[in-house]
Amino acid sequence: MKRGPGSLYAAPSILWLSVFFIAPLFIIVIYSFLTSGPRGGVIWRFTLDAYRAIINPTFAKVTLSTIVVALGSTVVTLLIALPCGYFMARSQKQNVLLLLVIIPFWTNFLIRIYAWIAILGNEGFLNDLLRALGLANDSIRFLYNRWAVALVLVYSYLPYAILPLFSTIDKFDFSLLEAARDLGASKLGAIWRVLLPNIKGGVLTAFLFTFIPIFGAYAVPLLVGGTESYMLGNLIADELTKARNWPLASAISLVITLVTTLGVLLLLRANGTSVLGGGRVENEVGLIAEPAIAEPLVAEPLVAEPAIANGNGT
Amino acid sequence: MAKKVFWGVALASIVIMLSACGGSKDKLYLYNWTYYIPDDVIEDFEKEFKVDVIVDAYSSNEEMYSKLVAGGSGYDLVVPSGDYVSIMIDESLLEPIDLAMVPNLRNVDPSAIARIGFDPGNKYSVPFMMGAAGVSVNTTRASGYEHSWDIFSKPEFKGRMTMLDDMREVLGAALKYLGYSVNDVDPAHLEEARLVVESWKPNLVKFDAEAFAKGFAGGEFWVVQGYAENVYLEYDEARWGEIDFFFPREGVPMYLDSFCILKGAKNADTAYDFINYMLRPDIAARVSDYLMLPSPNVPARALMTEKPNYSFADLAAGEFKEDLGQEGLALYNEIWRRIRVGN
Repeated sequence: MKRGPGSLYAAPSILWLSVFFIAPLFIIVIYSFLTSGPRGGVIWRFTLDAYRAIINPTFAKVTLSTIVVALGSTVVTLLIALPCGYFMARSQKQNVLLLLVIIPFWTNFLIRIYAWIAILGNEGFLNDLLRALGLANDSIRFLYNRWAVALVLVYSYLPYAILPLFSTIDKFDFSLLEAARDLGASKLGAIWRVLLPNIKGGVLTAFLFTFIPIFGAYAVPLLVGGTESYMLGNLIADELTKARNWPLASAISLVITLVTTLGVLLLLRANGTSVLGGGRVENEVGLIAEPAIAEPLVAEPLVAEPAIANGNGT
Repeated sequence: MAKKVFWGVALASIVIMLSACGGSKDKLYLYNWTYYIPDDVIEDFEKEFKVDVIVDAYSSNEEMYSKLVAGGSGYDLVVPSGDYVSIMIDESLLEPIDLAMVPNLRNVDPSAIARIGFDPGNKYSVPFMMGAAGVSVNTTRASGYEHSWDIFSKPEFKGRMTMLDDMREVLGAALKYLGYSVNDVDPAHLEEARLVVESWKPNLVKFDAEAFAKGFAGGEFWVVQGYAENVYLEYDEARWGEIDFFFPREGVPMYLDSFCILKGAKNADTAYDFINYMLRPDIAARVSDYLMLPSPNVPARALMTEKPNYSFADLAAGEFKEDLGQEGLALYNEIWRRIRVGN
C-alpha cells in the first residue's frame, strides 16, 4: 500500500507536540532526579531526594483529598451533563443550545470565579436574598470550604462534559430506544440498557475531559477554598514558587501525570479501545490525545500564578 | 478556528517585536513589583530622559527570583526585598552600585539605612520603600480587641479572619507573638510558633494573599493580615474611618525594597538615572502618595499631599526579614507545609 501525504499533514501537530509537550515533559522528568538548588533552580547532580520527600504523609493526604474532590466533582458534572446532552441532542434548537453552552467561555475564567465569590459570599447576592426572604438572620457561609471548591469546579468544567456527550448522543439512533420500549423495557430501563452502553465512549471522554483538569486545579481552590481545601495543584505551585524546590515540584507533577496516564489507559482498556491498534474510530482521536492534555493542565499553576497573585507591592 | 488563533498570535507577536525594536532611544528594562510605581511617574521619566522603559511585573520575591535564576534575564533593574538582596548578592546576580552615580541617596532617612543588615554600606542596593504587613480591622463589625497578634485567637471573630498565604509573614507573626526574632531558625522555637499558628487556624477562613482585601472591603472578612496599601485601595474611600490598621505591639516582620542593578545589565547608565530619579523628593512623594505609605525619603515627606496609613514610628518594634539560609528555609518550608496541609 502506498503511503499518502497523511504523514506530511501530521507533521505540524507532531512538531507542536514535540516542542510544547514532549520536550517540557522530558525536562520535568530530568529535573525530578536532580538536586534542588539552594534557593531554587537545580544542581546537575543525580539524586532521588525528591522521590524520597514524596513518601511523606502530608503528600498522601493532599493526594487523597485531591482525588476525593476531583472524583466527586467529576461524577456530579457527568450527572448534570448527561441529561443536558440528551436534551440538546433531541432538541430542535440545537444551535441555540450549543451557543448557550459555549457563551461562558467568552468571559475570563478568573472573572467567573470572582463572580461566584460575589454570589456566594457572606455579603453576597445569595445571602442577601435569603435575608430578604427571612430564611436567614445572619449569613450562611457558603464560600471557603471544599463544597464551594467542588461547586465552582463543576460549574467550570460542565461544558467540557456536555460537549462530548452531546456529540455522541447526537449520533445515537433513537429508534433503538423505541425498539427497546416495544420489547417491554421501561423508559429508564431503555436508557440504562440501550442508550448508556451505546454512548459509553462519550461518557468516558467526558469523564476524562473533566477529571484530568480538575485533578490539576489550582486557581479555584486558591480563590474559593478555605484553610483545608489545599489541592495538588496548589502544592506544586507552592513548591515551585515559594519553597523553590523545583525537583520536588517536578516529581509531584510527574506522579500526577503517571497516575492520570495509567488511569486513562485502564479506562480505555475497560472500554475495549486499543491504544496502539486500530480500535474503534469514533472516539479514538479524542481519547488518545487525552494524556497529552493532562500535562499542560498539571503545569497550569505556572501560568496562572502571575495573573492573579498580588503581593507586597500592591 | 485554530488557524485564526494561530495567525492572531503570530500577528500579535510580530507587533510586540516591532514595538520592542522600534526607535533608537536608550532603553531600560525594569522588573518591578505590580502596582508599585505609578505609570505616570515612569512616563515622566521617559520624557525627561528621552528613554524607553520596558516594565515587567512580579508579585512576589520568589517569583522574581525564580525567573531570574531560570534565565529570564535581559532586565537591567529589579526591586527585591532585603532578604532577597542578600541572596542575590551571595549568588552574584548583582552588579556593585557606584554610589557616586546616586547622589540622591542623601535624601533617604539615615535611620532607615542604619537598620539595613542585608547589605551594609549599600554596596549592591539602593533603598527605595519600606514598610510591613499589619492587621486591618473593620471596626463596624469587630470590637473589644487589643492591638496584639492575639486577635487571631479570638473565637468571636471565627470565620471572619484571614492571614497572608506567606510563611514568613505568618510564622513571623507567631514568632514575634512568642517574643522571638522573625528570623529565628531554632527548631524548638519554630515548633512553638507552629503550635501558635495551629491554634489560630480554626478561626481563620483562609490563608490568602490575593483576594483578602476585596473580601475585607466587601464586609466578608473583619480582621485581615496584610499590607495597608492593598486594603485601602480596595476599601470605599468615604468609609476609610472604619478601618483600624495597626501593627501588633509584639512587633512585625518588615520589608525594605531596594533598587539593584543586575549583573551584565546593558543599560546600567539609564538604570542609575532611574534610581536617582526615583529618589528625587518630588518623585518619591508621588510614589508615597499613590501607595499612601510613609516615605523613607526625608525631603519628600514635606511634599506629600496624602496622609500615609501609618508612620515609621509605628514600626519601632518591627524587624527586617533576613535570609534564613538554606537549612532555615527548608525548616520553614516543612513547617509551613504541615500547617497548610493540616495534620
